[in-house]
Amino acid sequence: MKQRPLAWRYLSVAFLLALMGIAILVQIIRIQNSQEVASVIDQGNYVWKDFYPPRGEIYDRNGSLLAGNQTVFEIGLDMTTHPDMPTVMLALQMAGLDMNDINYRISQAPANAQYIVLDDFVSTLKKDQLVVLQNAAHNDMSGKNLDAIYFKAHYGRSYPENDLASNVLGFVTEDNHGYLGIEEKYDNILAGIPVRLAVPADPRRATEYPTIPPGQTIILTIDREIQAAVENILDQALVNTGASSGTILVMDPRTGEILAMSSTPRLNLNDYRSISTVFPGETPFNRAISQSYEPGSVAKILTMAGALDSGVVTPETTIFVPVSIRVGGFDIYNWDGGAWGNQDTTGCLAHSLNVCLAYISDRLMGNASFYSYLQRFGLGHATGIDLAQETSGRLKLPGDSDWGPVDLGTNAFGQGVSVTPIQMVMAASALANDGKMVYPHVLYARIQDGKQVNTKTQIVGTPVSANTAHTLSDMLANGLEIESSTAIIPGYRIAGKTGTAQIPIPGGGYDQSNINASFIGWGPVDDPRFIVYVWLEKPQSNKAASVVAAPIFKKVVEKLIVLMDIPPDAVRMQMVGR
Amino acid sequence: MNNVEQIVQKVRQAPWRVQHQWIGLFLLALVLMAMVAGIYLNVTVGAALAGRETISLEAKITSNLRTNADSETQLAGLASVEAMQKRAETMGFQPASPEDITYVAVPGYVVQPGVDMSTEHKDQAVVPVILPEYTESWFEYFMNQQASSAPAGAQQP
Repeated sequence: MKQRPLAWRYLSVAFLLALMGIAILVQIIRIQNSQEVASVIDQGNYVWKDFYPPRGEIYDRNGSLLAGNQTVFEIGLDMTTHPDMPTVMLALQMAGLDMNDINYRISQAPANAQYIVLDDFVSTLKKDQLVVLQNAAHNDMSGKNLDAIYFKAHYGRSYPENDLASNVLGFVTEDNHGYLGIEEKYDNILAGIPVRLAVPADPRRATEYPTIPPGQTIILTIDREIQAAVENILDQALVNTGASSGTILVMDPRTGEILAMSSTPRLNLNDYRSISTVFPGETPFNRAISQSYEPGSVAKILTMAGALDSGVVTPETTIFVPVSIRVGGFDIYNWDGGAWGNQDTTGCLAHSLNVCLAYISDRLMGNASFYSYLQRFGLGHATGIDLAQETSGRLKLPGDSDWGPVDLGTNAFGQGVSVTPIQMVMAASALANDGKMVYPHVLYARIQDGKQVNTKTQIVGTPVSANTAHTLSDMLANGLEIESSTAIIPGYRIAGKTGTAQIPIPGGGYDQSNINASFIGWGPVDDPRFIVYVWLEKPQSNKAASVVAAPIFKKVVEKLIVLMDIPPDAVRMQMVGR
Repeated sequence: MNNVEQIVQKVRQAPWRVQHQWIGLFLLALVLMAMVAGIYLNVTVGAALAGRETISLEAKITSNLRTNADSETQLAGLASVEAMQKRAETMGFQPASPEDITYVAVPGYVVQPGVDMSTEHKDQAVVPVILPEYTESWFEYFMNQQASSAPAGAQQP
């Protein structure tokens, strides 16, 4: 049998080729299943990163954006390309980045780091400046380019109205957490659910990310136009009166919707880092909910409401008002130190007579009835408004260690009891809303799965009857007319009460040189659409609320009439009659 | 007869014949492997391209969403209270006071309720996520083809 001379060579080549193929196959399988190789690949190239979904937006009640999102950039450096650091640092400096922060980040990075985050939340403007420099240096013949700089876009919070309603909104920090106001209160629904993933440290190896549902959008009860007007009026008032701070609240007494909430100082929320400068020391972020104080005479409306409701007085009841009245061993005087003779209850309110109100609480109502009504009005308890950092004020009760019999007299005209402005407004809502006290809130609605879920009105109590509420409103409206108050608005019947309160000082006693001036009112009396509360702390131009606070109330109401389309009473009656 | 069988036997057992058979078998295996490798490569490349395209589209969607958010914020800034007031003042407008307003009764006028930002009932483009070609069986495919090729309104006699 004759064999071909090259046959064994062909066979050998074929065998070798087959062997190589098998070897390659075996090697692929081995690499894919090797723990050692996997650990080498993963080592240092992957980092755990939290992915935050776009934060929910915040709108006012008319759909104007108050808090939205905008693109900002993380700026990083790819260390594997051995960038020329002096060139990189010069470019970063030219783009206006914070070099101290960048130097710190570089110093803190591991020695073998492949990627270093140089800065974050960099604006588009600065990023574009860096890109221009990067493009210019791209063709540098000496190799000193900026190609190692990478940009990662992500969302950052933006407040297009800057400081408008800042005390209500709060702010979001770089760790995507809301602080203060709405941003803190509704942080869980605004922020959405973050996802944690292992991602390549090198952005060029970016992989597919999961779809993360965004945070819920919310709509506030705040009316941007009213808020702006109120803030403007408050700013002017501080200038004109020399007050150290101020607060103005506007609420719909039928629903509890806060239409405007202004407090000083305010913060440009796009520059939230300056908070410690704007709010030095213990300055509350939102005085309307976080600062309690002795309200003074505005609290007389609650005493009189309780007295009317319990039946111990009527609008026609005449009370003799001497120079002073002794309660719990202490003499209580009127604001002017004078005697006012016989006064009906309307006169007691109109002239803001301490002696009259102390007589009603001490001689006619007594502890049980008086404090029962104050508690029914919610004093001593937080309202539960949906804003962060609300305080509850203090209502001393018989039996408390620091309560004394004199408190029954002084509490009747707002001394010895502390409240927040929002507590006073909630209490007054019962008087403006047929005796029904409403829960004050700032959330109008939230958008969940494309559906708008509106916040329902909540009645938190009925401290007095509808009849009592109407009677007291009439008495207060008459009182303003009797006093020819500067709060009167021609064509509109408004109920209101001034409050000139002394300021307690630590260690006991009251500040003799400063007062708190306030005014609370609602209208139109027959169909209230708003409650307005004005509080000026330590005004210097005058020490009477009727002079400093009442005109501010009037200015606010004049704006509300226009912005809320409230016709004069006569016109409204004609329209109703048709 | 025996001669014929012997010739056939010799041909079958001829060395070159055996070698050709082995080479043929080897080449056949090689071709089969190449075919499998080719198909595998084709599918892999297709999947990789689709993956890259998906990533690219997702990046584009993300970028568009960010652009939308930027535009919305920018628009809100341009329409902010401060900006609008300045613009109005520049145009000669001034804030209205209660005395400036005349109220007129409009029969049938209903005050607009609060803002409604619901989106669930609004028209939205419906895009199928996975086409039926990727999920249906051959049987379903042919049935669907048959159903779609049937004339509209056809009735059995």
